[in-house]
Amino acid sequence: MANTANSRGGFGAWLLDPKRRGALLVTPALVILFVMNIFPLMWSFGLSFFNYKASSLKVPKFRGLSNYERVLTDDKVWERFQTTAIIVGSSVIVQLIIGFLLALMFAKAFPMRRIVLMLVLTPMMLSFVSVGVFFKLFYEPTFGIVSYVLNFFTEDHFVMLGSPAGAIAGIVIADAWMWSPFVMLLVLAGLVSVPKYLYEAAEIDRASAWRRFWTITFPYIRSLLLLAVLFRTIETFKLFDIVYIITEGGPGSSTETIAVFLYRNAFQFFKTSQSSALAYIVLFIVIVLTNLYLYAVNRRAEEVS
Amino acid sequence: MARKYREIGKAGWGYTAITSVVGFIYFFPVFWIILTAFKTRTDALAVPPKLFFTPTLENFQSVFFRASITTGTSQATDMGLYFFNSIFIAFTSVGLALIVGTLAAYAFSRYPLKGNDTYLFIILTTRMMPPIVVIIPIFLMFRLSGLAGSYWGIILLYTAFNIPFSVWLVKSFFDELNPEIEDAARMDGATERRVFFNFCIPQILAGLSATFVFGLILTWNEFLFALLLTGVETRTVPVAMARTLGGEVGVDYGLLAAIVTLFLIPIFFVTFLLQNQLLRGVTFGTVKK
Amino acid sequence: MNKRSVISGLMGATVLTAGLGGAPAFSADITITMAAPDWPPTRFMKEHFDQTYTSPAGHTTTLDMDFIPWPSFYERVAASLTSGEQKYQMIVTDSQWLGAFVEGGYYMDLTDKIAADPELTTILQDLHPALVSAYSTYPHKTRAQLEAAGEVPAPGVSYYGFPQFPDTYVTFYRQDVFCDEGEMAAFQAKYGSNLPCSYEDWQDTDWSKWGQIGEFFQRAKGEMLAGEVLDDDFYGIAYQAGKGYDFSTMQANAFIWQQGGDIWDESKMPDSQAEGVVNSDVAVAAFDEYLSYLQYMPPVSQTGQMDIFVIQDLYMQGKVGAIIDWVGLGEPVLDPSASKVHDKSAFGPAPGSRKADGSIDRTGNIGGQPFVLTTWNSEDVVDEALNVVKWWLSPDTQLAAVANGGQSGRMSVMADPTYNDLRPWNRAHVEMIDWQKDVWHIPEFFELLTQQQEEFDKAITGQIGAKEALDTVAEFQQELLEDGGYIE
Repeated sequence: MANTANSRGGFGAWLLDPKRRGALLVTPALVILFVMNIFPLMWSFGLSFFNYKASSLKVPKFRGLSNYERVLTDDKVWERFQTTAIIVGSSVIVQLIIGFLLALMFAKAFPMRRIVLMLVLTPMMLSFVSVGVFFKLFYEPTFGIVSYVLNFFTEDHFVMLGSPAGAIAGIVIADAWMWSPFVMLLVLAGLVSVPKYLYEAAEIDRASAWRRFWTITFPYIRSLLLLAVLFRTIETFKLFDIVYIITEGGPGSSTETIAVFLYRNAFQFFKTSQSSALAYIVLFIVIVLTNLYLYAVNRRAEEVS
Repeated sequence: MARKYREIGKAGWGYTAITSVVGFIYFFPVFWIILTAFKTRTDALAVPPKLFFTPTLENFQSVFFRASITTGTSQATDMGLYFFNSIFIAFTSVGLALIVGTLAAYAFSRYPLKGNDTYLFIILTTRMMPPIVVIIPIFLMFRLSGLAGSYWGIILLYTAFNIPFSVWLVKSFFDELNPEIEDAARMDGATERRVFFNFCIPQILAGLSATFVFGLILTWNEFLFALLLTGVETRTVPVAMARTLGGEVGVDYGLLAAIVTLFLIPIFFVTFLLQNQLLRGVTFGTVKK
Repeated sequence: MNKRSVISGLMGATVLTAGLGGAPAFSADITITMAAPDWPPTRFMKEHFDQTYTSPAGHTTTLDMDFIPWPSFYERVAASLTSGEQKYQMIVTDSQWLGAFVEGGYYMDLTDKIAADPELTTILQDLHPALVSAYSTYPHKTRAQLEAAGEVPAPGVSYYGFPQFPDTYVTFYRQDVFCDEGEMAAFQAKYGSNLPCSYEDWQDTDWSKWGQIGEFFQRAKGEMLAGEVLDDDFYGIAYQAGKGYDFSTMQANAFIWQQGGDIWDESKMPDSQAEGVVNSDVAVAAFDEYLSYLQYMPPVSQTGQMDIFVIQDLYMQGKVGAIIDWVGLGEPVLDPSASKVHDKSAFGPAPGSRKADGSIDRTGNIGGQPFVLTTWNSEDVVDEALNVVKWWLSPDTQLAAVANGGQSGRMSVMADPTYNDLRPWNRAHVEMIDWQKDVWHIPEFFELLTQQQEEFDKAITGQIGAKEALDTVAEFQQELLEDGGYIE
């Protein structure tokens, strides 16, 4: 623990020397992470240079970078990346907008706020599987409630998942519904941290609402918004169950995200090595994106101060 | 000092009415799932969709009992055990991650190592990997170490998954604290242990609660690893839930909804209890001055 | 589970001491862990085992079933096998997984065991040859190849699985609608032929009549059906056209085979080709016909999500007059709590293509699951597992299985006078089983299937035509199979 620095002598004292305190405190976390995450990651990183198939008895051969070459020259992979970018991009944008509006709504104190807020927070607590299953049912043209309601406005049965655009919309709606509350929480945190006197000053200046938002509110929520974007992008990149349940990647391959594609390659086709290579490319992309965000966050932070 | 959580302005019951309507619209899919839990299959698939129907408790009954095929007698399912497993595994691993993560976060914040940011970034990176890729190595490792099917295996794995989030969030809380107060305490002769437990921790309790709730939400419904790494005795609810997705009929909507509804109760309750902390914690931890 | 194993442990110990005391039986405690999808046919197997099984070798045998939810079954089994967990002694498997897991060294070759054991040989002789071909042989041998060999087991053939649940698709139809006098007269007036009402009528139903039924019964909300006003849109027909797993291939293959086309034929490796066969004019025309009936099906057919469960639900909720679906999904249709048509349903053979001589070709794609033994077990466990196989495939057990929602693969059981009355679809099942063929079994099965399902899905959702779809499939298969050394 943090200290026992008063114990004396020998290895214990060496270990508990204040110089090593930081390292000591970090160790349990790093050990668990290393054993449970980093080690398997390195294992599959190693595999990505062989031609290993988990279903085959053949001894794997070293293949250098050929798996990476194969993955990067595969048109399918690029298609899947585009699909993923579209779904991640639109879902995160929708989450930001909805989350932001919800946060504005809940920024005020009002009676029973605790309870009303719970209504909005609940979707996050559902499993992906159940969200997928029930949204698929909602979209079903015969039994679904969405189709039922929209049939009042359309001549024919409303068929949500029949076209690529509709299928993407169906997935984005389900995912964004589930995770907008997460964005809301972060934005809410930013909104309520704006010092009141700033608003009061603005009121005296008769600043327009729009201006007030940009000059006072936005700087306070900007870093939180970026944090929300970062977390949601990382998570949505891995989006699997909702897609797999609602559309199975269809129609055709128009909603097959990189996560679904990876799953098929790793588990159904047993291209163990090739899918490891692809996964590392995905990881690389996510790391680059993350660094861009962090860079943006830091630069803004410097600008502000 | 701990900043007090406060809202922008106050509003009355009229505002409550408006937000309730919006809130309920947002909540509607969940409401529909809960309704479905009380429906027979025919009602669940009725056209037009039924808002009013004769409720049945049959779905809840079949969460815990099933009819034997040969004798028709009622047998207990293992769902009770699975509920216990889910609660035990999720709470233990999120708690562990919080403890371990807090210690690490404190170090990252107060005793920066060489290459502090690199460590932090590597920690975050482990959360970005699509889980499907590490499944085979983890599965293999679990088998070799005998962790497969045990509580410890899945708990340690979930702990590892929660550490990145815990470290990042909790570190930001520590960063927010004013180190001068700690130094002053040290001057007064407080031990490091006292500084940590009596000065730092109390100030970020709300943040820790928030981290706990976030971790719980992200762990509660995990499916893939639970499917592959738990045994018959340690299976969790999300895995058991999958039996309602297909077999002799397609999705058993009523049964699935009943399990979802029951499974929502514990986490809903915890979130509700810690809600104030959740809001305050997030506020206080992530806002840069 | 725990309690039971403790008890069986105690019992085993007792038997063992008794054995030491005098009786010469070498009895042991044997636990057979079996990976099984969680559904009634396997639940029955477990319950019936506990009630009736006694080991002929005098062992205390426990059948420990690991019931895994169907939708995750493949993942769980695949992860267990490929990681070398060696947890299971027996596994229920889709026939198409044979290649991947035999090549991986996980499924046990039972040929010698069968040949050495007259009882198993008798069972194999009595199993329907279409099932033996699909469920048991790898590398795959067709029924014709097996029958040509003239002996069982056929020389040079490797046998693996035994039927756990042999499945075929049959027609589920609404008797109240199809046997309504007004509807029958109207149909006769419009098309000059009768609306199929009896089993014999369905024996004479081909795809063109299937299409007519679809057109005839497509009714909007408010119109009349069998003398009643419809409170929702109604459709005449539905069959599987879903993107998931094999939920369009199984039905599309039937059209292709019946009309004289073919898929890539693994039994004629390495001479059989994909290019030119898969996308032959006959196959394209057949696939086009499969697509052409979708217009008469419920609107979900436009999404590529109309899988075997969706059509079952549409049928059970009274939205569609007739569907072609697996026998294994028949039981809920008769269940009043799940099905609105539980007392109005009857079953017939699936339609087929009419040949020049007027007879109907019903060739279909087999469903269902065999179960296999794994390779890492001791001689004792293997022998006891084979005793379990014999117990399961004994006529008594098989009849009990059929009575409890299972199915049998034994011809003698299907010929039993009580068999047809045990379940209402049994007659159709027996008729259909004679027509069954199977898709590929090679390890690349999933790759072939996934790509094909994707292209079929594009055709089903109207993005491309039948020719384009099959051309793309053929090109992909040719390349993949040449790379894999299956085509020279």
